[in-house]
Amino acid sequence: MHIADGVLPLSVSLAGYALTATGVGYSLRRLDSADLPKIAVVTSSFFVASLIHLPLGPTSVHLLLPGIVGALLGPAALLSIAIGLFLQSLLFQFGGLTALGANSLMMGVPALLAGFVFQRIRGRTRTSNALAGAVVSGGGVLLAGLLLATLLATAGEDFWGVAKLALAAHVPVMLIEGCVGGCTIAFLFRVKPEMLAARSFSGVGKKR
Amino acid sequence: MTPTLIQTFTLTPSQGAILLLCLLTPPLLLLAFRWKRKLSSGQREISPDWSIPTIDAQAQGSSLFHTWTPAVKIGSLLIVSFLIVALHALFWSAVGLAFALLTVHLARIPWQRPLRRLAAMSGLCVLFLLILPLTSPLRSGDTLLVVPLLEGMPLRLTGVILSLTITCKAATVALLMEPMFATAELARTLQGFATLGLPSSLTQMILLCHRYLFVFQQEAARMQRAMRVRGFVPGTNLATLRTTGNALGMLFIRSFERTERVYEAMLSRGYRGAFPATSREKIAAGDLAKAAVSIMIGLLLLVLDRLAPTPRF
Repeated sequence: MHIADGVLPLSVSLAGYALTATGVGYSLRRLDSADLPKIAVVTSSFFVASLIHLPLGPTSVHLLLPGIVGALLGPAALLSIAIGLFLQSLLFQFGGLTALGANSLMMGVPALLAGFVFQRIRGRTRTSNALAGAVVSGGGVLLAGLLLATLLATAGEDFWGVAKLALAAHVPVMLIEGCVGGCTIAFLFRVKPEMLAARSFSGVGKKR
Repeated sequence: MTPTLIQTFTLTPSQGAILLLCLLTPPLLLLAFRWKRKLSSGQREISPDWSIPTIDAQAQGSSLFHTWTPAVKIGSLLIVSFLIVALHALFWSAVGLAFALLTVHLARIPWQRPLRRLAAMSGLCVLFLLILPLTSPLRSGDTLLVVPLLEGMPLRLTGVILSLTITCKAATVALLMEPMFATAELARTLQGFATLGLPSSLTQMILLCHRYLFVFQQEAARMQRAMRVRGFVPGTNLATLRTTGNALGMLFIRSFERTERVYEAMLSRGYRGAFPATSREKIAAGDLAKAAVSIMIGLLLLVLDRLAPTPRF
């Protein structure tokens, strides 16, 4: 769930923008310029993946994917997520333009953490990779939900009820995404394990 | 907080109906859109297909906004958006919404697209409209509204006003997105962003990502079709999750493998780290006049919001 315009206090929106801009600027400088077009292309596949809805009882949920983006892109995850969210706002109005900074942080921070944790705990076997994938995917959603609730709570005491409800709504998504993320990582480990290597992105462009 | 300070105000049936209509407009809009989508897709869809709308389909039109140089247009409308978001009072937020409606009218954009935006935005606003009036904490001096037929659920006046204010502000900025981004080709818009100081490497990434969205959406649709042909019926079960996980993995592998080919194709067409700029946009006096008018309106709203004495909302 992305925050719409007009919910957050102006100071929080601006602080979100400032932090996101710092993070994105850092990524842009640190990454090889040849990698940038490639990250853009991969970002569109994450965008499309996040549009896939899975049935959940009578309703359906869509995946948030911060864990997988973090595991696959590592330090470039924040950049990828900021671009994806800008386009989501532009095309669908999912998330407000003035809340873009806060929304990027809400998804980007879990993604960066997920990438870091995934490399630490993935181990060498398929099972351990799948478990690590499930943990960071589910954990990423949970952290995103916590950040969302925190951001909503900054808007005042009136919003605490909504914040709690939003956090509760993330729990089923967390379970679903944990399972899907574990399966995705297991699949990638079997089919193309080099994609999961640390700082995998610079490795993709190299000739094998 | 003593309960004696809380007033209870019973609405007449017509007042209650108007209030409920205000609160329920966004959810109804959302439902109407879902319903229309279901009707237009003909059959009962197994999984909802989220087609991606093009942002610059109306770029060839002619209006005040089409002739406005993108850099100045985006800059001033962004400032206006932030000024709108900073409003506190419901009344002035509603005035802002009226201005946004006027703006969309002036930009001569078909109403379908802004309506689609409003429906998408309603998702979160519904949460506020339905929850805030019931959960916002009672402070001394608050008023409880009792709607006829719903005596068991008194609504908090603070929550009602707050949720309506948020919805107005969100709708205003959502409507402004259309004149801001739909009245020029995306490449020109992004060039405007670069003029405003965004790194050009970033604007190029956005452009490229936008281009490949449609490619991967086709890819995902094809994979979904293939899965359906092989008897995949999504449901709330582990098999669905496993299959989806594998399908996503395949999508990511294809996209990673594609990056190299895309990059080589770009290099062979003369890409040297930058897309050739089409032309330098000139900033005319008219652009600055439009910027001045729009920012003045935004500032005026904010000043009135903070200074004018409005009765509680």
